[in-house]
Amino acid sequence: MADILQILILGLALGGVIALMGSGLSLVFGVMRIVNLAHPSLIIGGAYVTYWAFKMTGVDPIVMLPVASLIMAAIGVLLYRLMFERETKSAKYSEMTVLLTFALAMMVEGLLGGLFTNTQRVVSPDYATDAFFIGDLFIPKGQLYAGIVSLVIITALSLFLKYSRLGYAIRATTQNREAAELLGVNVNFICILAFAIGIGLAGAAGSLVSFVFSFFPAKHWEWIAMLMSVVVLGGMGSILGTVVAALLLSVIAAFVGTWIGATWSTLTFFLALFLILLVRPQGLFGEKPEMA
Amino acid sequence: MTELLQVTNITAGYGDGPAILDGAHLTVEPGKVHCIIGPNGAGKSTLMKAICGMLTIRKGDVVFKGKRLNGMRPDQILREGICFVPQERALFPKMTVRENLRMGGFILDDKKELERRIEGILERFPILRERADQHAGTMSGGQQQTLAMARTLIIKPAIVMLDEPSLGLAPKIVQEMFDIMKMMSAEGVTVLLVEQNALMGLKNSDWGVVLDLGRTLFEGPAATVLADPRIQELYLGGKKAA
Repeated sequence: MADILQILILGLALGGVIALMGSGLSLVFGVMRIVNLAHPSLIIGGAYVTYWAFKMTGVDPIVMLPVASLIMAAIGVLLYRLMFERETKSAKYSEMTVLLTFALAMMVEGLLGGLFTNTQRVVSPDYATDAFFIGDLFIPKGQLYAGIVSLVIITALSLFLKYSRLGYAIRATTQNREAAELLGVNVNFICILAFAIGIGLAGAAGSLVSFVFSFFPAKHWEWIAMLMSVVVLGGMGSILGTVVAALLLSVIAAFVGTWIGATWSTLTFFLALFLILLVRPQGLFGEKPEMA
Repeated sequence: MTELLQVTNITAGYGDGPAILDGAHLTVEPGKVHCIIGPNGAGKSTLMKAICGMLTIRKGDVVFKGKRLNGMRPDQILREGICFVPQERALFPKMTVRENLRMGGFILDDKKELERRIEGILERFPILRERADQHAGTMSGGQQQTLAMARTLIIKPAIVMLDEPSLGLAPKIVQEMFDIMKMMSAEGVTVLLVEQNALMGLKNSDWGVVLDLGRTLFEGPAATVLADPRIQELYLGGKKAA
């Protein structure tokens, strides 16, 4: 019983971080229909910002999180204006964004590789290697803090989307872009804002990832499949779905990793992606696609 | 005649494509119901989209209360007092009725005033109060159309443009929609309507506009349009107005 509880706790803590990693991806797809394959590479960008801040000044990664988030959000605004804004009227916009963001991911990887080399990095605040012990239970402080901070950020995001005026505008644009525009929403501004928030979330996730996982510029290829599994299972564009899917898959992966073998745990995400596309392509909280 | 909105020989189309409207004109008088009729592809919906700023006007003018609207964005035109409900009703399916109404008043800065106006709408449309916390996407077609029309009233618009509000609705519900339009008109809101059911549209309107191949063929009092033998033959299937 204690074993099961132990695996559950580790899975949930990690799931929280994966939920944050996926929520920006989901938001950006929901509002703008951009399939952002570069999202994990931007998470790694946030991780490098945090890593260098820690290395140079010793600033705690969690304290650095808002700064990394703001820096990445600003980069997000720049990227949106340069790469996506002019294409929004294109009939093949979503398809085009797949190619654009694929190219962006490679560029970011190349840039980070050139600047920081492909050496594996990890930020090591004291708590990253420490743990709480409750009876037989072992709870790594790093994962726990990262999971809690992730869930706090996602809750704040959900409250912002649910109750604020801009949140209303973002949700409205997600559900019916034309209607939002007709009711006075400046849709272009909302797209820039949502993209900035999405990439800002990538920056925030990067700060947390920096002490939970080791990272290097090409690591994003491992993460994109995992994050796409989470976002597709949750229902593309649904933040709640992303959180539920991330927690669910992380817990399953933790059980698989413990009972079957660590090398099999990653397979959980891919198997889930495969099955969900076969059985319920709209995901847990997504809408059924209309048939042509 | 004191016109509220004057559309003069406009040319407009989608993107870089061919012009759908080419020489369309329209005069809208305050407080009346205006019905635009015409065959499929005549440019009826395109005309509304051009007026509300969703399409770029290539030639001609749209003048509202003496102000030229050409080149303005939809949100700017809405702030001038022109609301547009497209064919698909433009609701937010995963938002509740109340949230949809809140979005109707997105351009209002005074939150308390917005909530007061929402209460006013819920008072006038009891079906919406009953379903205030229900997601709009789960309501019937008639209820959704009622919500779409009621939502326009939140900002107290000067003109409400409705693109085929009767589309997909049962005849009894269609009459309810026309009753709402008449109520709007009685309250001083000018209604501009595109209607596929030309006979019903004109019977419930004060002014008729006939559009074909992107240009205005004829406009005048609805009764005159209804009585015109050419119009009856071409657009009313030869039916005589009762």
